[in-house]
Amino acid sequence: MVMRLLILLVSLLLVGCGDRNWRTAETSEIMPLLDFSLIDENGQAVEAEDYQGKVTLVYFGYTYCPDVCPITLARLAGTLNRLDDDVREDIQVLFISVDPQRDTPEVVKRYTNAFGSEFIGITGELAEIDALTNRMRVTYDYEEPNQRGDYIVTHTSAVFAFDREGGAQFLIRDSHPISDAVADINRLVNDGA
Amino acid sequence: MVSHLFKTPRLLAGGMLLMLITAGHASGQDVQVSNARLSLLPGEQPGAGYFQLHNTGDETAVLVGAQSEAFEDVEIHMSSDENGMAHMHAMEQVAVEAGERFEFAPKGHHLMFIGRKQALAEGEDVEVLLQFGDEQRLPVTFEVVSPAAL
Ligand SMILES: [Cu+2]
Repeated sequence: MVMRLLILLVSLLLVGCGDRNWRTAETSEIMPLLDFSLIDENGQAVEAEDYQGKVTLVYFGYTYCPDVCPITLARLAGTLNRLDDDVREDIQVLFISVDPQRDTPEVVKRYTNAFGSEFIGITGELAEIDALTNRMRVTYDYEEPNQRGDYIVTHTSAVFAFDREGGAQFLIRDSHPISDAVADINRLVNDGA
Repeated sequence: MVSHLFKTPRLLAGGMLLMLITAGHASGQDVQVSNARLSLLPGEQPGAGYFQLHNTGDETAVLVGAQSEAFEDVEIHMSSDENGMAHMHAMEQVAVEAGERFEFAPKGHHLMFIGRKQALAEGEDVEVLLQFGDEQRLPVTFEVVSPAAL
């Protein structure tokens, strides 16, 4: 009896921690399905469902960020470069701007093109971006503009991974070795979901 | 790509020598800059300058600013990550003690190059004047690179 309880307890714990055992950080318990109504880099209205069918990596940033955003995207491009071609074909990266005032579709398109064909720029109405970030429980914040009218945007630094149905799976931080990100993305693509 | 990391400093040798000679005696300060790269993407977005400072003198060197004719403004910035949030803020100055090295590196300290006045392509050079607290000016040549090369 005690043994059974113990087994039940252990299995509950395992489920609680997520049963996928990602090397990066599990998100399936804390993040809902990917869901948004935004504008893509070609100026088209898009919904999260439009991106189903491929593994989706999401990064929230802004193009006037000269350091953290391009370095993160470049590192992600380097991560994808380590995957086999057929795996990469099953992956898309959404760079979702949290600064739509400056990041027009044209701007995010030129920006994401610099990182590779898997990278897609997304912008949209601020209210819709807020709906998405609130839903995902991620935040961003504008600082006071300077004399030129430029402003710094504080934003989440992680890359969020979703399965082909838009289900949250894991997030990749800077502190995770690239080899761990490669292993998890590979698994997510190959195991399906 | 990796070779950038070990590239020798591309200073305006003559100008720098003059600076060191003229300023050297007054303040005892010698500053060497190496591996200066300007990470830039196509468009009007600001760029980030990365380099290593080596204070070979016997007094603290204080970087207080920078300017370049290719940009409207150059600011000293620092990026940081706090609880999963990426922050960036401007800094008044960066002090490097005698004998010490200081790295302006991705996701840390950087020069932020704002308002480019001309198109700049990868591989091109940009002249930047680093300004130090004792009025010393150090011209440095930054090579334009893609962030993917860092
Ligand atoms: Cu900056």
